Amino acid sequence: MDGKGLDQGFRRTARAVAAVLSVLALAALLGAGDEGRSFVLDNGIRVFLYEKRDLPLLHVVTGFDVGSKNEADGTSGIVHLLEHCVLFRGTTARAGEEVVADVRRHGAYFNAHTGQDLSVFEISVPAAEAAFALRNQRDILFDFAVTPEELDGEKAVILEELNQMEDDPRRNATDLVLQALFPGHPYGRSVYGRRETIEAAKVEDLLGFYRRYFVSGNCAMAVVGDFAAAEMERMIRDVFGPLPKAGPPAEAFLMAEPLKKSVSRRLEKDVEDGYLYLGFVAPDYNHDDQYAVNVLAEVLGRGINPLLPALIRSERDIVQTVDMAYLALRYGGAVVVSIRADPKDITVLERTAVNSLKRAQGESYSKKDFPGEAELFVFDYLESAKNQIRFAVGRSEESGLQLAGSLVRYMLLNTRENPGRYLDAIGRVDSADLRKAAGKYLAKGQWAAVSIVPKKGAK
Amino acid sequence: MKPAAVRALAGALAASMCAVLLSAGPGVWKEAPRKIALATGIPLIYHKDKASAMTVVGLFVPGGRAAVPDGLDGLAYLVTRLTLEIPDEGKVRDLMAQATRMTFMCEEDYSVVFIECLSENLEEALRVAGKIIQDPLMSGLRIGRGKELMELFAQAEEDDAVLAGGNAVLKAFFQGKGYGSSSYGSPASRKAIERKDVQAFFRRHFTSKNVLFAVISDLDLAPVQTLLEKYFAKVPEGERPEVAAAAPVLPAESDVRLTKETKQTYIARAYALPPPSPADHAKGFLVEVLTGNGPGSRLWGLRTSGRLAYNVDSRLTWTRNAGLLEAYLETENAKADRAAAALDGVLKEVWEKGVAEEEFAATKTMAKAFFLRSAETKAERTRLLGQLELLGLGFDHISGLFEAIDAVTLDDLNAYIRAVLDPGKALKITVGPGGAAAGQGG
Repeated sequence: MDGKGLDQGFRRTARAVAAVLSVLALAALLGAGDEGRSFVLDNGIRVFLYEKRDLPLLHVVTGFDVGSKNEADGTSGIVHLLEHCVLFRGTTARAGEEVVADVRRHGAYFNAHTGQDLSVFEISVPAAEAAFALRNQRDILFDFAVTPEELDGEKAVILEELNQMEDDPRRNATDLVLQALFPGHPYGRSVYGRRETIEAAKVEDLLGFYRRYFVSGNCAMAVVGDFAAAEMERMIRDVFGPLPKAGPPAEAFLMAEPLKKSVSRRLEKDVEDGYLYLGFVAPDYNHDDQYAVNVLAEVLGRGINPLLPALIRSERDIVQTVDMAYLALRYGGAVVVSIRADPKDITVLERTAVNSLKRAQGESYSKKDFPGEAELFVFDYLESAKNQIRFAVGRSEESGLQLAGSLVRYMLLNTRENPGRYLDAIGRVDSADLRKAAGKYLAKGQWAAVSIVPKKGAK
Repeated sequence: MKPAAVRALAGALAASMCAVLLSAGPGVWKEAPRKIALATGIPLIYHKDKASAMTVVGLFVPGGRAAVPDGLDGLAYLVTRLTLEIPDEGKVRDLMAQATRMTFMCEEDYSVVFIECLSENLEEALRVAGKIIQDPLMSGLRIGRGKELMELFAQAEEDDAVLAGGNAVLKAFFQGKGYGSSSYGSPASRKAIERKDVQAFFRRHFTSKNVLFAVISDLDLAPVQTLLEKYFAKVPEGERPEVAAAAPVLPAESDVRLTKETKQTYIARAYALPPPSPADHAKGFLVEVLTGNGPGSRLWGLRTSGRLAYNVDSRLTWTRNAGLLEAYLETENAKADRAAAALDGVLKEVWEKGVAEEEFAATKTMAKAFFLRSAETKAERTRLLGQLELLGLGFDHISGLFEAIDAVTLDDLNAYIRAVLDPGKALKITVGPGGAAAGQGG
């Protein structure tokens, strides 16, 4: 998942950091040979159709290769602001209120997300409303218009969102740790942006980004749901085919460098609990190491009984919850470990957790690491993690919107010729791969730490 | 990406503006859920779904927070938690190796244990789960550890204004007892819970005459039934305990404030709704969608034109004897007074003027689609099936809700709104800086 969104109707718990960072790059599970159908329109829009006919619902996710990476310090937050305005502030033909009313009349779920790499727009409707969903998305995405007054209205919403994020220790810590992890790189800017940039943004600033990036050659779309693929392809060609062919200006980004020096930041807020977030630079979306890091994250920090809490507790039994997530981006990646603990233990936990992570390069993860009969008495963390990833894939197959989102990410971020099936690649990861990945990304790397603890003197 | 010429956007929006027709009844589901009795006497609600090779088993235990004795807040949560404490590390590892997950929830009228697994591992999952759930180890050590965790979870919940606000609503309407008790308890109640209380609660509620299963799987019913009968054969017969379903009462002091030094203030208005008959359940759901669910809801204007919030929403909690509707927003502290007045204004307008035909039709369409999406995943649908059954609506209300929504007329809904959204019956909740009017404790 790319970052945060306008998740009206979702409970805040669903926006917890675990959810923000936990969705791995599952898209490749729908590689060639499955029941999906993919094609490219003459104007360059990439399309993936996937029939999922268990419920009369249709999910359309449309993504553009533009995110906070495309901003500069003076425009930090403008892509997020643009995403809000595109979704809710109307087109040349319809005012924002009309768009919202139309969406409601058709029973649609309507949302968008901005991340470091991508801007993604979602609509989910009853299957009978496929034509509306496609035309509505074409209209808002390719015929956007906004007035200064509408822009001012959306700026106020964004500033409220910033306040909300800063009140939420999990979202706030995640945002800060990612900024600290990529100093000097475009990923080092907050996806939420800077207040002063948002307050100063003008309509022409937004339209500059819009005209540059919201074009057919920079777009991919996935449709998942209850439809016949041939008919859906015809509808998409009718609705999106006439759009002009246009690509964005070529832009090059450097890969994120490993952090040169560890950084640690501590914030005091009106919270009850203690929160510690640790970030390490990790492989990018197309790197061969991604599979090993996916599995390593499952072994160490996810699932029923992950290894990392045990490693930490072997030094100090002071953690409440531990989670580890891998965020694979186009030009870099991050492993983020989140820990909740008694506030008084947070300081000592940083060193303890880092030491535990560094020890991961020497662990035995598979029964095959043990000679002879010894393998009968040890737990196979590797196989367990692989099963947990199969479990996560199974869950994602039930959610049409999640599937469509993963497909769009794949279409826009993948640069490999033939990456093959995701689960096949996961299946090939062995224990040595995990040790190597742990050594490369956790043991040798520097880290960024952010802790949030109660204010001194608070109850 | 290669730059290319930009052509004018062709075609105007030609979207149909008519109301959406979603077929009502079991036709929504490829295969309708059904209910049978296992040989053990335990009811099983079963729904076959081939969307994934996964199985979700929910073991529902009626009781929940409603069954918690006064002064023992947190007891239902603690007992349910202990039924999932796996005493044998080897068993933990067996489950872990197969990626089987066991989780639980403690709700107003029931607790539920979920077993989620790859369907190929269902037998092993049920073998282990059956063994520990039917004979949990409730030692003093484990109870103590459970209490420690509850304290920590209670702290974390207070760091989330929306959760804290929701808890405050239940606490106020039910005077802090039963439905209004804290899931995780208070320091005093946790201290008061003894091992004998834990054991007594377990013996009273975890009986074959009380519990029920809800299962969604890609597997056929027969093998699932066989496994449940085999591995849950030792649930004691016991009795079905009577648990009173309290009615909500608006407290005399209806302005509750929780002090929190945050950048935003959470402001909510909460209303008690009638018990969930099929018709009133549908009407309550429609009012929830109308007021706060999604873009275009009545509260939405506070965000777009009012510029008062990012998050506006409504939330509806059902008990067997009532619904509790919360309409809320989160706003910058400096705007809190203005936002509270605007929230009151929007809700008062709904109460005074009701809805017109067009908005009524759109709300029905939105409600049906919203419901389908909320039931898309197996885990969420399993919870829904059990909840509907235990609310007295019946599991098949998952199909019948569409018919119930269709049956609501415009006059019905407006009369319902007039009855439930009376501003004089609203509970006010505020979480944020700004002092305490009738604090429940920060």
